[in-house]
Amino acid sequence: MVAQLTALERTYAAIILVVVICVGVAMAVVGRGDLLAVHGWIVAAYGMAVMVVLLRGIDASEPWEERFREYYDDPTRVGIILSLIWGVIAMAVGVWVAALLAWPDLTFDAAWASFGRLRPVHTSGVIFGFGGNALIATSFHVLQRTTRARLPDQLSPWFVLLGYNLFCVMAATGYFMGMTQSKEYAEPEWYADLWLVVVWVVYFLIYIRTLARRREPHIYVANWYYMAFILVVAILHIVNNLAVPVSIGHAKSYALFSGVQDAMTQWWYGHNAVAFFLTAGFLGMLYYYLPKRAGRPIYSYRMSIISFWGITFMYMWAGSHHLHYTALPHWVQTLGMVFSLVLLVPSWASAGNALLTLNGAWHKVRDDAVLRFMMLAAIFYGIATFEGSFMAIRAVNSLSHYTDWTVGHVHAGALGWVAMITFGSLYALVPWMWKRPALYSAKLVEVHFWLALSGTVVYVFSMWNSGIIQGLMWRTYDQNGTLAYSFLDTLVAMHPYYIARTFGGLLFLAGAVVAFYNVWMTISRPAPIDEGAAADLPVEPPAPRAWAQAGE
Amino acid sequence: MSFDHDTVTAFAKSFGLFYLVAMSIGVVIYAFWPANRKQFDRAAKSIVSDDEDRPWL
Amino acid sequence: MFNFHYRLERNAMGLVLAIIVVASIGGLIEIAPLFTIDETVEDAPDMRVYTPLELAGRNIYIREGCYACHSQMIRTLRDEVERYGPYSLAVESKYDHPMLWGSKRTGPDIARLGGKYSNEWHVAHLYNPRDLVPESKMPAYRWLLRNSLEIDDLGEHLAAMRAVGVPYTDEMIENATADAYGQANPDSGQAAGVAERYGDATNVSLFDGKPETLTEMDAVVAYLQILGRLTDAARQAEQAKVE
Repeated sequence: MVAQLTALERTYAAIILVVVICVGVAMAVVGRGDLLAVHGWIVAAYGMAVMVVLLRGIDASEPWEERFREYYDDPTRVGIILSLIWGVIAMAVGVWVAALLAWPDLTFDAAWASFGRLRPVHTSGVIFGFGGNALIATSFHVLQRTTRARLPDQLSPWFVLLGYNLFCVMAATGYFMGMTQSKEYAEPEWYADLWLVVVWVVYFLIYIRTLARRREPHIYVANWYYMAFILVVAILHIVNNLAVPVSIGHAKSYALFSGVQDAMTQWWYGHNAVAFFLTAGFLGMLYYYLPKRAGRPIYSYRMSIISFWGITFMYMWAGSHHLHYTALPHWVQTLGMVFSLVLLVPSWASAGNALLTLNGAWHKVRDDAVLRFMMLAAIFYGIATFEGSFMAIRAVNSLSHYTDWTVGHVHAGALGWVAMITFGSLYALVPWMWKRPALYSAKLVEVHFWLALSGTVVYVFSMWNSGIIQGLMWRTYDQNGTLAYSFLDTLVAMHPYYIARTFGGLLFLAGAVVAFYNVWMTISRPAPIDEGAAADLPVEPPAPRAWAQAGE
Repeated sequence: MSFDHDTVTAFAKSFGLFYLVAMSIGVVIYAFWPANRKQFDRAAKSIVSDDEDRPWL
Repeated sequence: MFNFHYRLERNAMGLVLAIIVVASIGGLIEIAPLFTIDETVEDAPDMRVYTPLELAGRNIYIREGCYACHSQMIRTLRDEVERYGPYSLAVESKYDHPMLWGSKRTGPDIARLGGKYSNEWHVAHLYNPRDLVPESKMPAYRWLLRNSLEIDDLGEHLAAMRAVGVPYTDEMIENATADAYGQANPDSGQAAGVAERYGDATNVSLFDGKPETLTEMDAVVAYLQILGRLTDAARQAEQAKVE
């Protein structure tokens, strides 16, 4: 992989890595006596590990100028593998935390293994580790194909991918040690947040630079979604993580906002992380890989544009529905509720658009489990967005809030929509990326499909049941006008559902392991001889200097 | 005009509605503008066409 | 206008700006008014800041992820008020950087937990919840009794809190370490200063039952005992409504 970098890029890479290692050591020195030092050493070790890879390839001959006749897919390949590794780890932790709620003594008297510390490992691991890596990997692929231009250079995609994974590593290891801001889905501390800003700026620049070099005048709509994902996540991340560290040598920081302002900022972030990380980005995936796999253009391109602006505009208003009946001013709650309801229109337009694209190709859906993953994702997207709008209604929310119904809703979206579209897209992408005629086993995709579907259904139904039962029990009065159930009564009623959800999660995890195995076997089997050689060689001699123009 | 809580709140409550309506109309007109049709159709078809998987030089 | 739109997607930077503008307005309109506060947060003249020991306890509460299962926000619903106490006011979390309202009640709401149980109950419950509540799903936090509390840098913590707007005085910051020790050791010389700086009503006691050593348990119990008691505003508001 280093061989693809020019000599200058290798030099820059070495300089960046030296800086990263120095920063890590500096963190370890100023943060001695604090957990910051541990993270300092982790940063330095990560930098050194990448440095070893770089140095082992540093003497490789310069990449051929012919490279400008190919897309640059190495970062995408690595991103796919990283995504699957994070997915398996984070889903396994998810099964563990689910089991902890049924059998709380599985903590074994170790602080790092308690529910409160493992939960963010699960949530960040699946959202940022699994989802984020899949988004970065697919965005590089889609961006190049739809603009018909190669990425602007070979170094910055690696900076984004490896830098982003350093953030994920800091996040996950930090949670085990108890380093958290307590802001849900924005738990990493100030220094990790600052690092992510740097990574994100480079990510944005790659997008803009590639778009500027595009050979196709129209920017395909999938890129609009990826752009919204990059831009809005940057805004959300910066505003919600404003904080003052105790000192430069402390990992701990105090949030800039407090109380009601902090709550509004946090849920403006929290809800829009769902909107722009878990929806916009993955819609970008849907709008490229679903038509591509089905071999049919998207049903209505116009509809995709209308729903794009609808989602971009309206999601931002909806965050306050997380704070119904709280100390947040009433009018803000109402605004959040109204916009959450209107939001159903662009959401269903997207889901309908995806399903109508498949209309007329149902035989392909029947035979091809990969396409079926994508179809199922669109269906769950429709279900989850309907449920979300429904739960944003104040009266419904008074029942559902604080209960497992919310957890069920989130997993309908996360398992049913995000994970399904990701697995579908990665399954489609892997043979293209590694120049294989097909996946190792279509049968295993089929197995994974049914494991994923049954796992999701078991999980979501058990959470619907437990959530609604708990919500109703909390507000049940007896004839004397006093509360009928103690909190403990409701907890006892949850127990069977907690076991059921653990089982559902286990099914889904098994599916992810099957996916990893299938992808791994696809990659590790030797490529067919006729195509393997063609991958790195030009088919015909290049036109003189043509590559140089493409480079600039 | 002072920027007290009432002013800001009143602005937030009224302006949002106008903004929403104007924005929706603008987007719909754009999406259905006849001259854009050809370009949209081409874009939708471009990703499924079976040409070579290489950048255009 | 249509020409503008036409250029929009031909021009990548135009698309970028359009996305930023369209997406930002929702957040701006909703959040901006909350900062012209007057009416968003009520007045509570009796509100006090967290003592260093309580703040340390709060940080451990955050560290262990307690907020994932316990909310600190009683909604304005009849059953919640009857179950947990007067509904939460915005002012009560005025000094909460960050707020810990929570989003899930795997365990009960604890916004009004302070004073409800004895210190001994809390210590025993945190040590192993199932000794007191056999059906409990809460992890056993035995390490809180094993770990000694880090108090040397509490002054810096208070200073950082002051930087984000919490009115700690110079005196509080200077004496943070001594105050943390004193609050958990009523018989020590440092105890008097705590009441002097944070009010006579401040809970000074042997939280974990052991004199001399200061454990994380001391801090967590001190924090749990102050929940809902930084100000009396919520109870007064309810009283006023009844009359």
